[in-house]
Amino acid sequence: MRRRWPIAVLSLASLVAAAPFAVMLLVALSPRAEPTIPHRLPSSLTFDNLAGVLATESFLRWTLNTAIYSAVSVAAVLLSAAMAGYVFARKRFAGRNALLWSLLSTMMVPFHALLMPTMVVISRLGWSDTYWGLIVPTLANAQAVLLLRQFIRALPDEVFDAARIDGAGDWRIFRSIVLPLCRPVLATLGVFVFLWHWNDFQWPLVVLRTDRMRTLTVGLSTLESGHLTAPELMSAATVTGLPCLLVFVLVQRRLTSTISFTGAGR
Amino acid sequence: MARLREACTVLVFLLPVLLLFAIFRFLPMLGALGLSLTDYRSSDDWQFAGTGNYRDLFHDTIFLTSLRTTLGYAALYVPLTLAVALGTALLLHAVPIRGRGLFRAALFAPYATSLVLSGVIWRWVLQPTGFLEQPSTVLPALAIVGVWKGFGYAMLILFAGISNAPADCLEAAKMDGASGWQRFRHILLPALRPALFFVLVVETVGAFQVFDTVYVMTGGGPVRASYSVAYAVYDYGFRYFDVGHAAAIGVALWAIVLLVSLTQRRAFERNP
Repeated sequence: MRRRWPIAVLSLASLVAAAPFAVMLLVALSPRAEPTIPHRLPSSLTFDNLAGVLATESFLRWTLNTAIYSAVSVAAVLLSAAMAGYVFARKRFAGRNALLWSLLSTMMVPFHALLMPTMVVISRLGWSDTYWGLIVPTLANAQAVLLLRQFIRALPDEVFDAARIDGAGDWRIFRSIVLPLCRPVLATLGVFVFLWHWNDFQWPLVVLRTDRMRTLTVGLSTLESGHLTAPELMSAATVTGLPCLLVFVLVQRRLTSTISFTGAGR
Repeated sequence: MARLREACTVLVFLLPVLLLFAIFRFLPMLGALGLSLTDYRSSDDWQFAGTGNYRDLFHDTIFLTSLRTTLGYAALYVPLTLAVALGTALLLHAVPIRGRGLFRAALFAPYATSLVLSGVIWRWVLQPTGFLEQPSTVLPALAIVGVWKGFGYAMLILFAGISNAPADCLEAAKMDGASGWQRFRHILLPALRPALFFVLVVETVGAFQVFDTVYVMTGGGPVRASYSVAYAVYDYGFRYFDVGHAAAIGVALWAIVLLVSLTQRRAFERNP
């Protein structure tokens, strides 16, 4: 006999977890001139605020910047980490483990410990307020390397032996065996990297200066609640968060099981 | 010849990652130590300052305040996250498998969005309460937003840990009349130790770096009641352009994070 109360408590907890999003959506869809939550529920719903936000030039620009930041980072992180993961998993060379450990040790260094020196490097490279400066430093992703190395190591040796006997070189093996076999883990990791970059705030905040270079999170943080009506502010928030929530709904089963089994994703 | 080729292959495959880590991780790690020993303001305005920045830290009331604030935040955030995550993970195990997916997705959903988004929504929700304007309530408010956003991750790790607990042991204990608490204390908890340790370290390290919600919701206020160490690094570096001092605070934060996680590790090793 199962008891009922765990379901009741979890339902309540789920409601609490989802409530802020519901508030955001409801306020974003409320007519601008009317008082809305918390005073009363909106009498009608409208997409005017959302359309208004999407029609703003700077908001479109921020969305484009965020999309570029996320898309380029996903492609570059997956490729570079898969290449390194292949070598760490399948090659023997002097200092291999020491190198892997030193890459992993960087995960324990707080972002803010490296903030000032990284900014000095960026300004020396002349990359302040550019896509280069925004994207390249965030591509050093030890978690991605580790995850792919673990996955490639678990692939059966026979596949690699057979390819070698057929005379395939490393590049060939990487392209036609490793990458296709890694598709599931690449897909999950890709979603993680997408979410990290779409949601990233601290790095874009410091490396970008001008309004037209901003990403959505930085742009959203500059919108003061005093200057905008609540429906406008929540519309901006909705546009910022909706892509992530949609991606999450589509792939949540995969994401949650990857976290459960590997601890990746922090 | 074959060995040389092999070495070349290894190097080529590693090159992108090696370059990225060398320039944007290892160089800044050395740079942080270097910068913190200078009074750097710009590339043509700096002098070696020895350990001056570090000695200043001990008299810098703003830094000391930020340290207290961060400890206070961590003291609220970490236990609360662990409690909520463990509670929901245990409850997830108590419901039929068919319902789990939905609950798990709903509880984890906030994790997929940004802290900035959470901050903007919660700032608006909390505005009528005045919690963010009072020094006594601002840290609990920030901690609750942090927990709401982040507990789903810990929940998933702990949920997996519970799944690894020996099912036959639990069943046998139940048959022998062990209470729910006894089964939790003597079977589940020992099986959960590695997962709990991992979550504890990860969440503590995260709590010490709290920044986004502070920036969006309070700007460190009121009267520095939510001024965290990470926020101090940003403030000194990008508002006062005192790069050397900001780097020293960053290195101090690094040392604190290392110290805390080592202490936690020893504590876990000592009490098996």
